[in-house]
Amino acid sequence: MSGTEQDGSELRTISEPVELSIPVQSDLILLARLTAATVASRAGFDVEEVDDLRLAVDELCVLVADGGSVGRLQLTFLATGNAVEVICTLDGAEVQDGQRPDEYGERELSIRILDALVDEHGEDFEGDQRRGWLRKRNVHPGPA
Amino acid sequence: MEETFGVDERNSDDLAYLSVRGELDLAAAPTLREHLYAAVDRSSGPLIVDLLAVTFIDSTALGVLIGTQERCAERGIELRLVLEDARIIKIFEITGLTELFTMSPTVTEAAAR
Repeated sequence: MSGTEQDGSELRTISEPVELSIPVQSDLILLARLTAATVASRAGFDVEEVDDLRLAVDELCVLVADGGSVGRLQLTFLATGNAVEVICTLDGAEVQDGQRPDEYGERELSIRILDALVDEHGEDFEGDQRRGWLRKRNVHPGPA
Repeated sequence: MEETFGVDERNSDDLAYLSVRGELDLAAAPTLREHLYAAVDRSSGPLIVDLLAVTFIDSTALGVLIGTQERCAERGIELRLVLEDARIIKIFEITGLTELFTMSPTVTEAAAR
C-alpha cells in the first residue's frame, strides 16, 4: 500500500492511488473489502459510509470477476477531494460473459446495491475488457 | 486464511434452527447453500435462520437465501429469518427483499410466529 503515513496520533489522508492485485479467488475478495475500508476511513468517511464502500467494492469485484477463476483483479483506490474512486479490471483472463450463476437474479441485486450505495458506477464488459468503476462522495466531510 | 463465517445447527421435533455468523460473501456462499438446502430437505416444520451474528452480506449470499426460500416454498416449509442489525437489514431493504422474507428481531419471536 502506498501513500499512507501515521505520525503519532495524527492520521494522514491517502493522497496517492492505492493499488491492489489479487488472483480471482473468492476468498481473497475480502482483501479488496479491507482496502476499501482503510481508504474510506482515511478519507474521513463515517462508519456507515465505510461499510457502504466495503460492500460496494465487494459487489464491483464480483461483477467484474463474473464467476471466473482465472486471471487477476487489479484494483485502484483513489481518494480525490471528498470522494473515493475505485477502478477494478480483470487481467489475464479470457472474457466469458455469463459465467456467474444468476439463477436468483444475483447480478441485478449487485446493480441495485451499487445504485443505492455509491454516487456513480459503471461496468464495461465489451470486447476483451472487463472493467468496473465506482465513485462515492463523503456526505459528511470534516474541516479541510 | 482464517474462516470468516460459520454455521451451527440445532433441530427439534417442531422446527429446525440454523445460526449463521461472520461474513456471508462469494467465498461463503457454497457452504452456506449446502447447509441451508440440507436443512430444508430435513425439515418438516418451520426453518429458522438466525443471522444475528452476521457482519456482512452481499448479493451472492442473498441469492442463496432466495434459493432457500424457493426450496422451502416448494416443500411447504416456512423460512423465518432472524436479524436486527440495521446494516444488514439495510441490504435487504435496498434490494427489495424485505417483502420476500419473514423477518423477526429475535429467535424467540421467530419461533413463536
